[in-house]
Amino acid sequence: MQQHRALILRSNRFLGSSLVNQGLLSDSDLEVANEKFMEAIQSPERLKNASVLSILSHDLGQLDEARLLEHLVDEYSIGLIDLNYVELRLLPNTELDLSLCLATSTLPFDEVDGTYLVASCYYMSAPVVKHWEDLLGGKVIWYGTSIISMSRALERMQDLTTASEEE
Amino acid sequence: MRHSVLILDDDTDFNNLLTDIFEQADYIVTSLEDPFKAIEAIADTEIDLVVTDHKMPEMSGVEFIAQVKKRQPKVPVIMVSGFLENDTIRDLINRGIGGVFLKPLNIFSLLERTAELIEESKRVDPDSQDSVEHSEEEELNENISAELGVPFHSFPCKSKASAHFAEKLYNLRNFNSNLSLIGEPGTHFSEICEDIRTFYANEKEQFIYLGIVSFNADQVLSMLVEAEQPGVERVTCVLLDVELMTNEQKALAIALSKSEGVFESVGVSVRTIFCVSGDLDVLYDLDQIDEDLYILMGTAEVIVPPLRECRSDITVMAQQLLAKLMNEKGLSSDRRFDAAARDFLSQYHWDQNFAQLKETVRRVLELSSEHVISLVAVSSALQSTIAATPRARVEAHLSSARNDYLRATAILLDSENSKVASFYGTEERLIESALK
Repeated sequence: MQQHRALILRSNRFLGSSLVNQGLLSDSDLEVANEKFMEAIQSPERLKNASVLSILSHDLGQLDEARLLEHLVDEYSIGLIDLNYVELRLLPNTELDLSLCLATSTLPFDEVDGTYLVASCYYMSAPVVKHWEDLLGGKVIWYGTSIISMSRALERMQDLTTASEEE
Repeated sequence: MRHSVLILDDDTDFNNLLTDIFEQADYIVTSLEDPFKAIEAIADTEIDLVVTDHKMPEMSGVEFIAQVKKRQPKVPVIMVSGFLENDTIRDLINRGIGGVFLKPLNIFSLLERTAELIEESKRVDPDSQDSVEHSEEEELNENISAELGVPFHSFPCKSKASAHFAEKLYNLRNFNSNLSLIGEPGTHFSEICEDIRTFYANEKEQFIYLGIVSFNADQVLSMLVEAEQPGVERVTCVLLDVELMTNEQKALAIALSKSEGVFESVGVSVRTIFCVSGDLDVLYDLDQIDEDLYILMGTAEVIVPPLRECRSDITVMAQQLLAKLMNEKGLSSDRRFDAAARDFLSQYHWDQNFAQLKETVRRVLELSSEHVISLVAVSSALQSTIAATPRARVEAHLSSARNDYLRATAILLDSENSKVASFYGTEERLIESALK
């Protein structure tokens, strides 16, 4: 996870700024969340789960995730997806790095004719979008998803990867 | 009514680029590479404006303009060139040229000036439009000030970028503990922070300014004690040149922002404004900003627009600087820039932003005693500031050469920034920024 440290910092910083800029969060709430986030990334064990979004919505209760998802639809015109209802598979032609998915709360969950369908909790963070679009060659259809849906999907992907390695 | 423009440039690629620009702006374009054919076209066709290159193999731009003026004395002419000597500029002014645009080209300024010149050439009374423009500018500025409820001095807010900046700053005026101002080199952070100070009409707010020389714990504590006057409820510490601070100073800046460590016992509420020159992500990658500061500065940040994004503000800022410097010298402040000088000021790229503009205006006063300041005087003053140090000279040369290469590559690669970025193995945003 250390290899994604800079990306984790950058993506969380941008997400926080975007939330404040778009009126979804106050700067004082972000300040508290940033402090907790910095504590998390200082600890090697907590680094992989360090997320301003998670801190804001779950630990501090200062961000209404449903409102954030509505905002994604209204302002960015992207679709929403509940990954619990998606049959996940290991995508061909991608060496999916699950630690990167975890670091960015983002998961490419399907591929159609070279276009990837990607779900993310961090769509409002420009570095996350750019990183994945560069990685997937620019052909991406984005979906917003909830933290819990992403977290369960990543667990399932981990199981799939382990099973595939055992085979 | 559509107006007609004649474009003369022997460089096919650049000619095509100019043609595209004017056609997309709904002009009827006659595009030629041969000056003799262009002279024939001017004699035979009704042309509203001529755009010409200077360096051409068969005829110089100056010679071409002389031919144009012989045939159609009233048709306005704009010159677009990579570089022009002062003597050439002087010659051009004598020949009544309407605008000089140096590459890299600012398309919006070029189109704006084109429209102005055509309108002026069609008008009977040449003075009437000036007064109309003046009142429109005043109205814009008054609108911004009325919207904010306070005057805003650091930018005249005549461009969208600066007006948006002023509004954003005003909306963030009640920031909790820290605010970051991110600008390019030469940004006038102190003046901007003075505007933030005017957002608060009462005496309960105190501002103190700390540069890297004065930024140590003892100095800050002493200034905080001094600022703790009866009635003062909050002190805002403006930290300048954060990117140049030592690691100890950066740690101190974080402590000050969080009222921790030596600042824990300070009896008044403290906020900080971090002023940084440069791209914060690049500074972070270069280890000049550590993780703590990088995240801390993301709480409430505002990007200060560079001057090149505020073209409509530049001439007003230059005039304000002129008046201020004249006032400081105890001289009458009725000097002004002529139209060609104003054009040049507004379309120059100002890599060093406000600091460079200020230094140029200062040099103009030193070098020229003209009541109406000409383009030659401004150009000479600017050249003298650029030539001031060997380092500045080298930097200016490298920056210009880099931009030339980038533009050439962009032309070869279908003007697709992603391809240019891939070619040079760099990020697309850096290419976009350089080509802007």
